[in-house]
Amino acid sequence: MNAAGLPGFADHAFLRGIPAGSVARLAATATAVSFPAGRRLFEEGAPARKCWLLTSGQVALFLHAPGAEDLIVETLCCDDVIGFSWLAPPHEWQFSAATVTATEAFELDGTAVMALCDRDRDLGYQLAQRFLAAAVRRLHATRIRLLDLYGTPRARAGT
Amino acid sequence: MSAQAPPARYRVAARAAETHDTVTLRLEPVDEPIAPHRPGQFTMLYAFGVGEVPISISGGPAGPGLIQTIRSVGAVTRALCEAGEGEIIGVRGPYGTDWGVAGAAGQDVLVVAGGIGLAPLRPALLAALAARERYRRVTVLIGARTPQELVFAEEIAAWRDRGAEVQVTVDRAAVGWHGHVGVVTQLIGRAGVDPPATLALVCGPEVMMRLTARALADLGIAPGRIRVSLERNMRCGTAECGHCQLGPLLLCRDGPVVSYEQAAPLLSVKEL
Repeated sequence: MNAAGLPGFADHAFLRGIPAGSVARLAATATAVSFPAGRRLFEEGAPARKCWLLTSGQVALFLHAPGAEDLIVETLCCDDVIGFSWLAPPHEWQFSAATVTATEAFELDGTAVMALCDRDRDLGYQLAQRFLAAAVRRLHATRIRLLDLYGTPRARAGT
Repeated sequence: MSAQAPPARYRVAARAAETHDTVTLRLEPVDEPIAPHRPGQFTMLYAFGVGEVPISISGGPAGPGLIQTIRSVGAVTRALCEAGEGEIIGVRGPYGTDWGVAGAAGQDVLVVAGGIGLAPLRPALLAALAARERYRRVTVLIGARTPQELVFAEEIAAWRDRGAEVQVTVDRAAVGWHGHVGVVTQLIGRAGVDPPATLALVCGPEVMMRLTARALADLGIAPGRIRVSLERNMRCGTAECGHCQLGPLLLCRDGPVVSYEQAAPLLSVKEL
């Protein structure tokens, strides 16, 4: 499969700016997939070997909580990438993920992407930059949520 | 109106709990009503025997009554939140500047609300929806702590029916929530904003407004077309007492709605 055989792949926001030849080689590791609402993409603790470039729909990352409802950590949608755990040891999913709505994506085979990046270091650098940027964006967003901005404000005199 | 003007008496005609700590009151005048208000203005509400606080008006300007949404955070707001139907509340105002939504005719209106910040934005949204044909896209992005702490949740479907695109995100939710989970700034990039033709109205906690306004400016919206609603310790409402000073601004007169162009240099000064 090359990028021409995978319509929309080369235009995905995550890949913007990567040379066409590299994108075409990356396309060989990718498959266009569609999921109905409620489909589990991966389970916490299972081996992590894939990632997805979302093109439509919405996916929830969540955490199992014993004796309680599962807690959604974050939702992701169009133009987002989901699945970082394949990149670093222990290569296990740290959260679970399921589609909230019908979702379309490009599914990348992490093992094949790693092998490709070992051969094509420029592509590896480009992808590393993009994964890092996505991780930094999510770190910033998580830090803001940690501030609990909408929590009960401290009462001031006269309020 | 001077600071010494006595409050007009209003009767609580209806009381609706928005969340565990937030209540919307419908107030009807007992005597002469206060002057008509514009979207974004506030009143001073007096819980007799307890004290007086500034509260944004959360309803449209039609009729002599007032809609005010109050979060219980101290003695006065707690007394107002607990006011039952028939109880008398004092009202002074309306005070301050407005959102200026009428000036965005022919353009997009983007409303970004955090928590109870949706309350002062609601009159601007209702005004835009009441004249829906005058505007291009009307987009509403709402951030809340949890789905249970979302104010005006029951109105969102009606806003969509009237032509608004509404996205809601919360900080925490259990599986089963079908909105977004994340910070409201994450919705901005997905909203399809047309920067040169957008008036952005932002209200929420000050840190949220700062981050949101910065994200909107980064998209290319001119700071003068981003408006935020600032709150300080409003007392007189007539720019006489100085309690609400923020740098060169007396927010009861020069605010609460100011442009990000004015606000940006002030929002990052710790001493203010």
